[in-house]
Amino acid sequence: MTARSPSARRMRTRSERVGRERLPLPALVLAVIAVAFFALPFIGLLWRAPWSTVHEVLGRESVRTALRLSLQTSLSAAAVAVVFGVPLAWMLARIDFPGRGFVRALCTLSMVLPPVVGGVALFASFGRRGLFGRYLDQWFDFRLPFTTTGVIVAQVFVSMPFLVLTVEAALRQMDRRHDDAARTLGASRWYVFSRVTLPTIRPALIAGIVLAWARALGEFGATITFAGNFPGETQTMPLATYLALETDPDEAIILALILITISFAVLVGLRDRWLGGSGSVTT
Amino acid sequence: MSLDAQVGVRLGEFDLDAAISVEAGEVLAVLGPNGSGKTTLLRAIAGLVPIDAGRISIDDTVLDEPDTAVFVPPEHRPVGVVFQDYLLFEHLNALDNTAFGLRAGGVDRREARRRARVLLDGFGLAAHTRSRPHMLSGGQAQRVALARALAIEPQVLLLDEPLAALDVGTRRQVRRDLRRHLADFDGVRILVTHDPVDAYALADRVAILEAGRVVQTGTIAHVTAHPRSRYVADLVGTNLVTGDISNNRLTTSTGAVVSVVAEFTGPAFAIVRPRSITLSHAPIDTSARNTFTGVVDDVDRLGDRIRVGVDGALHLTAEITAAALDTLDLRPGDTITATVKATDIETYPA
Repeated sequence: MTARSPSARRMRTRSERVGRERLPLPALVLAVIAVAFFALPFIGLLWRAPWSTVHEVLGRESVRTALRLSLQTSLSAAAVAVVFGVPLAWMLARIDFPGRGFVRALCTLSMVLPPVVGGVALFASFGRRGLFGRYLDQWFDFRLPFTTTGVIVAQVFVSMPFLVLTVEAALRQMDRRHDDAARTLGASRWYVFSRVTLPTIRPALIAGIVLAWARALGEFGATITFAGNFPGETQTMPLATYLALETDPDEAIILALILITISFAVLVGLRDRWLGGSGSVTT
Repeated sequence: MSLDAQVGVRLGEFDLDAAISVEAGEVLAVLGPNGSGKTTLLRAIAGLVPIDAGRISIDDTVLDEPDTAVFVPPEHRPVGVVFQDYLLFEHLNALDNTAFGLRAGGVDRREARRRARVLLDGFGLAAHTRSRPHMLSGGQAQRVALARALAIEPQVLLLDEPLAALDVGTRRQVRRDLRRHLADFDGVRILVTHDPVDAYALADRVAILEAGRVVQTGTIAHVTAHPRSRYVADLVGTNLVTGDISNNRLTTSTGAVVSVVAEFTGPAFAIVRPRSITLSHAPIDTSARNTFTGVVDDVDRLGDRIRVGVDGALHLTAEITAAALDTLDLRPGDTITATVKATDIETYPA
């Protein structure tokens, strides 16, 4: 016992020291204000929510339709973003071609543009009279604007950059020698990509998917500009929320709460599980 | 079966131009300081770095030859590699790491795992097939890396600093195990290392690589007995003097003259063994033909032996006993005279 007590004391003082580690007070105050800044709007929303009518509003066909459409389009957009975004990220990270910086800027521009601008640009290109849209219409009898597909296109346009940047950063950081090792074991480039590269960057890939999906779920400006606001076809949750604000504020608040709940649940769930958000799993 | 590699690679300022040839059943150690191009040489043989000039072939099969535009990509070369740090796939357990090459080659999962299990058994890892790489010790990880490389039944096995990732405590045991496992593989084996102890323990022959050039090849006994570069001389702890011999006098490029006993003339190497050097405060009257006065620049204790660096017309390292050091009371900066008999200096043509 006498031999153990000094080390036990050392352990305790060490954990106390770590536990006591603090931000400088001014920084701590600012950090707490920042947390409050994010928390207060939700508290206000919860306080203002017409809890007595929640059940009735949730039962409304228009709400259910908007919710279904939102989930359907945002998940589709996330899937499309993965299919095209991962190869794009791989190209940006691994292939040294002239104008790479330009291409990267082009492909992530929509992230910093006002979404409405993106919608206008999509309309000018893929609208029925647009530069390319007219041929889609004439040759294939295929129209994007004011269709559900148009909603997905608008969402992909604004959300894919989040996935591309996340995945590209992970590809740049990963130890490429693992890919080399796989090749010396006889793996083709595709086998290396699917069996070594992708599993290695899985946390970043999942983070990218979640970010892109969340962005697509909340997409408003490009959608309403390019796809319009037709219930059942292009009226997603954010659009329905905005419109309800003018006619039925209670419904708007409930719609907003639904969106918040979905997004928050996914972020919390995925971060802890896959992204090492609260844990320390880094290997 | 034999591997012939004439490797010319330019990487920015660095320029590798090295030729090695290894027979099946032989273990060649490529020994050189950091940055000498060892790993690049290995990567070129594996196909991870295309060569700019030269030719790499196994028997009559050319793997890389820029002149004829032949380049076999790494996945089609019969070459297995054990990388520095092993580079096991963290998302796969030991069994699937070992089975990876077979799976990539189209063997179905069950058969690949069966063969991988047999291999891991042979490496004493039967209990660790389900372990992820981070759960393995350094020695176990190395054996998995070896099993993974051998699973594809390569003709050539390359090992890049296979012991560098281990701590000193386990290195000896792992080195002994590695030696046994290497003996079981009968193809061409090339080992890259900066540690002469690894080369001694594991290789039949060494190639000394310095600044991208092979400066010496041969059996370890021969190379260490007759170093042809400062690097090797330092590794074996002896003094190497280069110069021209005529009339039993070796003249260095800086003009220092060493009396030797030599039956040839022309460019030569001379070995001055640290133990054959006598140190004294004043020039002594002796039959020894060589006395050099210089300044002590280094006093290094190795057990009960002391190595003293003397910088004069030549830089020489002398080895004396601790008792002799006490008597001489040497400190860096002192002036000292080094004496060595001509007959104690071994010479051979450069």
